[in-house]
Amino acid sequence: MTTPRRPLRDNGLGLAFGALFLATLAGQSFAGQAQVNADRLTEGLPPVSWLEFVTSSTFGVDVMENWQSEYLQFFLYVFATVWLVQRGSPESKEVDRIGTGSDEDQLVGRHARPDSPRWAATGGWRTTVFSRSLGLLMGGIFLATWAASSITGWASFNSEQLMSHQDPVDWAGYLGQADFWNRTLQNWQSEMLAVGSMAVFAVHLRQRGSPESKPVGASQHDDTGETG
Amino acid sequence: MDDDGRRGRVAGVLLAGVLVLVPGCSSAQEPAVAEVATAFADAGTTPDARCALLVPSTAAALAEEASRTCAEAVTEVPTGTGPVESVAVWGGEAQVRLAGDTLFLTETPDGWQITAASCRAAGEGPYRCRVEGS
Repeated sequence: MTTPRRPLRDNGLGLAFGALFLATLAGQSFAGQAQVNADRLTEGLPPVSWLEFVTSSTFGVDVMENWQSEYLQFFLYVFATVWLVQRGSPESKEVDRIGTGSDEDQLVGRHARPDSPRWAATGGWRTTVFSRSLGLLMGGIFLATWAASSITGWASFNSEQLMSHQDPVDWAGYLGQADFWNRTLQNWQSEMLAVGSMAVFAVHLRQRGSPESKPVGASQHDDTGETG
Repeated sequence: MDDDGRRGRVAGVLLAGVLVLVPGCSSAQEPAVAEVATAFADAGTTPDARCALLVPSTAAALAEEASRTCAEAVTEVPTGTGPVESVAVWGGEAQVRLAGDTLFLTETPDGWQITAASCRAAGEGPYRCRVEGS
């Protein structure tokens, strides 16, 4: 029996996290403006307005450096979990199912069902692309936001260089600066830690009712890929 | 796939916006920045007017260091001559190179003002400036 459709409930995750995203982004903008103005005060410079701050490279790089690492995390996780497994973890598939799976398992080509997406059934490049579309999108957004991070970071770095009476650098020069790699790697390391530790913690610990967890009574190491 | 495509387009538009806005904002400000720097260097500008081109903290530092008024002290500040060699604007900060001088400016509610003047490059570190805020 199909559960009746109720838009708010059916889209609760997307709506709740969308609202939380907007609220926290707004909070970041006000906290960031206050921090920048405190720094400007000590330099004897006039404060910037909220609008000036949210359109500045300083705010842009703080946002982009976090976005790029989040999308890298999901891109790597989507691809890595095709080939890497964690016995007993609900974040992993079963250990004997490493790889991309058969067409029958994946319901593609002649194995597609009547309700399968059209590109799953058509074959050729469309099915090849659609079969990897989640990873491609995540990887694409990662590259776009990392590029945006490098550009906003470059602008912010040069603004700080000028404020401290030093020469600005070109974009290629910025990519060799510690500022760019410190911003990049400090975000990457936290994403790798969170993903790796979640995969392992979920072997041993439970969250009743969450699809990120196994059922509370599931076996520690024998039940892999089960969610509850 | 339609949703994926839409999200991809949104990301593309965002990136394109960043690519267009970052250099675009800067180049639009260059004439105003250059005008302030050349006015400061212009021998025909009165001392009071030159001091008005400095941010208040820099004008105060110049006066304090010379134990005189800013207008008296600014007459002894060597300035560059001739045309603007280059202008760099990043956010609310700018650098102008004149023949023989480099100036640093910041954007204020009253327009662009000078934070440091009569500056010389000093290797990897900050420029050494005869006039700058404390």
